[in-house]
Amino acid sequence: MSKYGVSITELREEKYLVDALREMGYRPEIHPEAVPMNSYYSEQEAKQANIILRRHELRGACGDIGFARQPDGRLTLIADELDAYHGYGEKWLGRVQQLYKEKQTLAMARARGYILKKREVIQTKEGEQVRLQFAVRR
Amino acid sequence: MQDQTITITIDEQGHSTLDLEGFAGRSCEKVFDDFRSGDKVKIERKKPAYYAGQQIQREKSQR
Repeated sequence: MSKYGVSITELREEKYLVDALREMGYRPEIHPEAVPMNSYYSEQEAKQANIILRRHELRGACGDIGFARQPDGRLTLIADELDAYHGYGEKWLGRVQQLYKEKQTLAMARARGYILKKREVIQTKEGEQVRLQFAVRR
Repeated sequence: MQDQTITITIDEQGHSTLDLEGFAGRSCEKVFDDFRSGDKVKIERKKPAYYAGQQIQREKSQR
């Protein structure tokens, strides 16, 4: 045994976020410059995002859902508050982040020569966890 | 020599737990940084074996 750590996933790399959303069945729009999103509250100032899922492909959603690039490089979720009650809240974002982290980890490991030994999906009370085991190339 | 294995568990919120076995010292830090991939670290604990490599290094430098 040598080291143990817990990390909070931060969405920074557009490629893996887009891949995660595609795996969930969406067709994300990608905009290098942020563009307006459609909102349920049309009187409100339109929010802008760089990666957008349009309402027509989000069952039950009030508005579009997007991810906007922040000055520190993170991509943060932009959505109508109401949509948290329509299936696009923490649990949904958690699934996006889980897929993102897995894709990012596998790509990094491939690029740096780590060898994937095992992938397991573990059912817990809280939901599915993904466990990846790697070895170091000698 | 103990096998070096890296286990990463990604929970339902997308946050990850990283467990390194068989590493010591600098190599441990490099692997940890690779798998952290720029994420914010919430908890970081070194296990006894981490220091084993440093002990050997120290003994060598004292000779």
